[in-house]
Amino acid sequence: MPIIQNKTIGIGGSTKKSISLRGLGKGPVPWLIPLALVLILMFLYPTFEVIRLSFTNAKITGSNYSYTLDSFKAMFSDGAFYIMLRVTAVFVLFSVVFQTLVGFVIALSVDKGEKLKMKGTVFVRTVALMSWAIPGVVIGIIWRMMYDESPSGVLNYMLETIGVGRIAFLTNPVIAIISVTIANIWRGTAQSMILLYAGLKTVQQETLEAAEVDGASAWQRLIKIIIPSILPVAMINITLNTIYTVNTFDMVMSLTGGGPGRSTEVLALSSYTQIFQMLNLGRGAAVAVFLLGVNAVMASIYFYMIRNNEEGV
Amino acid sequence: MSKHHKDTGTRIGLYVVYTLTSLFFLYPLLWVVSLSLKTVPELFAVPPKILPQHFAIENYAYVLWKARILKNLWNSLFVVTLTVIGTLIITLPASYAFSRMYFRFKKSLLLCILGFQMISPLVIVIPLYRYFSKINMLNSNFGLIAVYIAVSAPFATWFLKGFLDTIPKELDEAAIIDGCNRLQILRMVLIPVTIPGIISALLLIAIRSWSQFVVPFILLDKGDMFPISVGLVNLQSTTDAISTHYLAAASVLGILPTVVVFILLQKFIVSALTAGAVKG
Repeated sequence: MPIIQNKTIGIGGSTKKSISLRGLGKGPVPWLIPLALVLILMFLYPTFEVIRLSFTNAKITGSNYSYTLDSFKAMFSDGAFYIMLRVTAVFVLFSVVFQTLVGFVIALSVDKGEKLKMKGTVFVRTVALMSWAIPGVVIGIIWRMMYDESPSGVLNYMLETIGVGRIAFLTNPVIAIISVTIANIWRGTAQSMILLYAGLKTVQQETLEAAEVDGASAWQRLIKIIIPSILPVAMINITLNTIYTVNTFDMVMSLTGGGPGRSTEVLALSSYTQIFQMLNLGRGAAVAVFLLGVNAVMASIYFYMIRNNEEGV
Repeated sequence: MSKHHKDTGTRIGLYVVYTLTSLFFLYPLLWVVSLSLKTVPELFAVPPKILPQHFAIENYAYVLWKARILKNLWNSLFVVTLTVIGTLIITLPASYAFSRMYFRFKKSLLLCILGFQMISPLVIVIPLYRYFSKINMLNSNFGLIAVYIAVSAPFATWFLKGFLDTIPKELDEAAIIDGCNRLQILRMVLIPVTIPGIISALLLIAIRSWSQFVVPFILLDKGDMFPISVGLVNLQSTTDAISTHYLAAASVLGILPTVVVFILLQKFIVSALTAGAVKG
């Protein structure tokens, strides 16, 4: 798309300001070319290419292939595909719900603590946001250590001490997806917290105080004032977290590798496995195109939201 | 009086939340640090010990040199540095155009760029792997960095454009009256006042690129070139229970640079992230 649009700009683009400004010309084209080149070569071309490949029977190396719909047919008629989608849906749904809830509680309590000038708010904020700066693969590695099922595993030891008993965090297929989700909540809460915290800063202080004077309880203020005013930000946050979680690859790769069996094989991982382990490029590309479709739907929702929320684009 | 009472209750409640939050987020990190300083017998101690008996710093020396984590860290630093420079070079002019010029399709172009940010890097790396293997660019830093730049460019463009938008246009106009052209305006007027924005962008791009995994994981297969993220997964695949302390030490080294930067410049980064996310 940008290719065509860029050309149009070159022809028709004139600055509304009539001041002539030499130095890389009048129009925006020379300023945009480097970015456009990189995005076209490294984003646009591969995106079209992956769609094209999904309609072939190509292998990852070698150049003999023919066009076919087999990959999509095989994908949609494979029961494992729907199981994988269900695993992804559970992973995304619970991740996003809890990232948002936990992020909101932390943001709210840090914001309140700051207003009361309490000690430790900066510490809590830093600690809650730190995971944002930690690579996903390391988060997977760290949680794999936490979930250690041997007698020296720390979480299991703690659970045993408080009388819950040992849990097969990563070897039981049903529990494994919960374990992966908890690790992902640990990872993504920072993102929610940052956004909601910023949202809380925009809540009108006068309105809150007026409500308090009128005798509104803390709960009423939360439901009637705070939540409605941060709702737009919260929706944006939910959309972004959904996109990031759907795209998750690194953390699951190092935490479970998709196992046990294929019980934690989420969408992105499934595409990778098809291509690089089953050596079935067409099929993996079909899964990737499905992922791309999900990305596109989520992006449209996101655009719709920020159009309502933002003027100066 | 009752007001004061209520405050005490609130405070206690808040400290409960703070404690739970700190436990949940810090415990895994403290545990990995603790593991990284243990000896082999301590790894298998039942019940597990929270603190190692003597701090086995030698684990770090082992992974840095013997497990070649130092090489991985160096590769990451190299790739991240060039990515940051490259991204700024291509996105600064573009964000200037988006902020200061009026042209058709500006809005659609901006949304299109934002759309790229929603695409999983995995999707683009699949065909790039094929393409790079044909033209012999697998295991090439040039190709790798180009993909890194592409992945961070959409965010950088939006972020810098947003920052430039906050700078009053009167500055440009004064410069125009003084006879500056666009390049001079950007170089002599806007870049100096945009330095805080550029530094924030630089930090955010650096932290994200440091974490990048799927791109190098697929485009590189020479262990010598692995950045730390891939190096760690590689080390993990050869690790069993008896060398957990080494994997833990390597992980600590892998997160140390970004976490330290994050803690030191926290205020900066938080306000940068919120500025990017919530406008108006």
